[in-house]
Amino acid sequence: MTLASFIALWLAVAIALELFSRRALRLYRLVRSGKPVARFDDVPARARAEATDVLGQRKLLQRLVPGLVHAAIFWGFIVLFPTILIAMIGAVNPHGTLPRLGAQGWYALLVDVFALAVLIGVGAAFVIRKLVRPARFQGSHLGEADLILGLIAGIVLTLFLWHSSQIALGLNDYPAAWAPISNALSRVVAPVAPVTERVAVWAHVLIILSFLVYLPYSKHLHILVAAINVYFGRTRARGRLEPINFEAPETEVRFGSGRASDMTWKQMLDTMSCTECGRCQDVCPAYYTGKALSPKLLIMAMRDNLFSGSTAPIVPNAVTDDIVWDCVTCGACVRECPVNIEHIDHIVDLRRHLVMVESRFPEEAGTMLRDVDRTSNPWGRPQSDRMQWADGLGVRVLQPGEEPPDVLFWVGCAPAFDERARKAAVSTAKLMQQAGVDFAVLGPRESCTGDPARRMGDEYTFQRLANENVATLNGAKVKKIVTTCPHCFNTIGNEYPDFGGRYQVVHHSEFLAELVRDGRLQPAASERTITYHDSCYLARHNDVRAQPRELVAAVGKAVEMPRNRERTFCCGAGGARMWMEEKRGRPINQERVREAAATGAETLAVACPFCTVMLDDGVRETGAKLQVFDLATLLHEAVAGRQTAEEL
Amino acid sequence: MSVLLLDEGNDVSRQALTLARRFGEPRSVPIDAVQPFAPDALAAALATAADELDATAVVAAGTERGNEVMARLAARSGLPFAANCVAVELGNPLTLTRLRWGGSLLEEARMHTALPLLTVAPHALPVDQGPAPQPVNVKRPEERELAVHVVEHIQPSHGGVSLADAKVIVSGGRGVGSKEGFAIIEELASLLGAAVGCSRAVTSAGWRPHSDQVGQTGTKVSPEVYIACGISGATQHTAGLKGAKRIVAINSDPQAPLMLNADYTVTGDLKEIVPAISAEIRRARAGRTS
Repeated sequence: MTLASFIALWLAVAIALELFSRRALRLYRLVRSGKPVARFDDVPARARAEATDVLGQRKLLQRLVPGLVHAAIFWGFIVLFPTILIAMIGAVNPHGTLPRLGAQGWYALLVDVFALAVLIGVGAAFVIRKLVRPARFQGSHLGEADLILGLIAGIVLTLFLWHSSQIALGLNDYPAAWAPISNALSRVVAPVAPVTERVAVWAHVLIILSFLVYLPYSKHLHILVAAINVYFGRTRARGRLEPINFEAPETEVRFGSGRASDMTWKQMLDTMSCTECGRCQDVCPAYYTGKALSPKLLIMAMRDNLFSGSTAPIVPNAVTDDIVWDCVTCGACVRECPVNIEHIDHIVDLRRHLVMVESRFPEEAGTMLRDVDRTSNPWGRPQSDRMQWADGLGVRVLQPGEEPPDVLFWVGCAPAFDERARKAAVSTAKLMQQAGVDFAVLGPRESCTGDPARRMGDEYTFQRLANENVATLNGAKVKKIVTTCPHCFNTIGNEYPDFGGRYQVVHHSEFLAELVRDGRLQPAASERTITYHDSCYLARHNDVRAQPRELVAAVGKAVEMPRNRERTFCCGAGGARMWMEEKRGRPINQERVREAAATGAETLAVACPFCTVMLDDGVRETGAKLQVFDLATLLHEAVAGRQTAEEL
Repeated sequence: MSVLLLDEGNDVSRQALTLARRFGEPRSVPIDAVQPFAPDALAAALATAADELDATAVVAAGTERGNEVMARLAARSGLPFAANCVAVELGNPLTLTRLRWGGSLLEEARMHTALPLLTVAPHALPVDQGPAPQPVNVKRPEERELAVHVVEHIQPSHGGVSLADAKVIVSGGRGVGSKEGFAIIEELASLLGAAVGCSRAVTSAGWRPHSDQVGQTGTKVSPEVYIACGISGATQHTAGLKGAKRIVAINSDPQAPLMLNADYTVTGDLKEIVPAISAEIRRARAGRTS
């Protein structure tokens, strides 16, 4: 009996391992075939991510109920892991167990408690999937998920059945009192215990082995891959895109992703890590407003295309053009993803290929790309007009060879050329003058940072502009830069270091908040109610959330929108969408304006020139009773208001 | 050794001829060899002719039509094709420089083939002054050989005036108020022989088609006179107006950006002002004819 069991067990294990490793090896080779990307540095940060995001389930717990459901199952399986071995020993020899651990009362207690936790977790997951049915599962493989939950339930139920029969037969090596649930159940199973003990332990082992075989063929692959993917996630600035090395030998330059084989190994790993949970889809502004893009379906399509071995172009065969161009690069999906999938990198790589290799992009954006390239700003205005905004302000324009100021005010194209965005630059300059800050601007020597070109996929134009701007800034010996534009802020701060430009870059909301804190600016708060709209590139990509709120509190009464701080909802302009027509779905800016109007606030405060234009348009389009102002303008009014009051 | 030229009978084709001569004795296939214009049929004809002549290259002008025919020839024959070349050095492989990106990038490429397919970017090479090449007699290919069948040719309607070429444009913005509100804009435009334009707000609201939109993401215009009615003048819009010689702005808000930048402004309700202008034009014309 024991020998037969022994042979049967080894046969089952051998078959399962063979089937498992065949697939696992194929997947491993696939990932190894991916294009290089530097993700081996910064081990401490990676270890920390592993601890918080995998063991601590941090990103899953961003959504409390489903997060707890997952955590119960995940932690349960970690605790129950040794029972696999214990069960295999028990299957061969009913009297045997794992030395030491198998006989411990405390471990028996842990197993009992966590097995119950897993069971409750699976039950809750079924309730969520079958009764609540959240929209985020739209498009996911629902049958597969049911099967997996069924298998997990099977594993835990057979475990309980086995333990309770063991106790009924007195085969338990641990004190029965330490396993209260199994002990209680033992009375129920006692009449059939000799049979159930054998059946349950074998069923337990066989379900686990089938689970092992099924794993690498299913979306549940994430059990094996997610922890690895989290480890290799980005540790540096989230707002930074990987630069293309145009200096590399021409056969090695990767112009984004045209075919599956162009993907980096991290991108391949991304697709394998996806569990189709749909958290990304739930927060995506494009999906929310009825557009073609769903970040989840995008990653699934990339995975299916990769696994199919197809050598056909990804766009339009696996992913349509519309999907690629709907993205605002707001990063909501990336922030939400529990397994650190980096959707923006996939999108930008698809764009890079379309733009640089195929010259294929929404027609209307061509004007912006050409103008950025030829006139160094997206609207094709002459560089000589760059100082028009500062007429009569007496702002110092830094000339070549002059001593650098304490602070370089990087104005940005939108504040320099757009009438509505201009007010923020004027207010910021006046406030800095009042606070006695030694600052200057580059004037006609300032060019577009290249952000819109880069987010469109035109890496070539971006790098040319980046190199020129870095040369100008380094030549001027600039140390500290203040900018009103979160896109300039992100690009100069996070992306220019790749091109030799290292400066202390501060957003004007941070800088002005500091001036208020130091008492160099003294605003008078009013009764005005203000709701602040977080810019994606500020709040989410760069974690600037507190300082803008300090400013709001200093000038009026704050009211928060439901989607705020790092969970902000894009205005619709990011990812170069500012220069594209929004032809699909509902307008994103109007959606956000309605959310702002619903707070009942009189003022919609922003800290980004693009948000200013988009949301002001949205206010006009929806007829909302709101006024859109940049924080700098509000602060300037509040400071001036106090001065007038004091003069009276 | 013969080289085949798709001849459109214009300067760009004679620039292409300059290149063709470097490959051998040029022979031409006129673009109207297949009428009406049918790119797939022309490509099939070129393929046959290149075969019969044992051509060393096929060259065409880098025009919309030239590039389309050559792209179809490339797809048909499986041969490599370089569009919009500005310089070509003979040899094996062929070394060439070509325009990418609407002219903002130059690409250097090497082409490994016995029969290169090339188009020449306009103004890249001198116009050939020599005798016209001997035409090749081409038969119209059988319909069954073609991937694309031309069913019908529809001439564009010349009813309206195209925005890009219009001398006068009457444009409406959010201030017009509704789709129906554009009746007065259209009336003024027809009196002036002008095109009708609009701002992005108007296309977003669905009052006019995107083809009427003037601006950054619409049409760039360069009229003698641009009459903006109820348009505030967001950068998105004014980016399309850089070529306009005179701007007349009609708006109830005298502080609207376009009112500050226009050559002439009328402050007031466009629903009164625009019909008044139309009435005045009618009156003046009636007076002149009587």
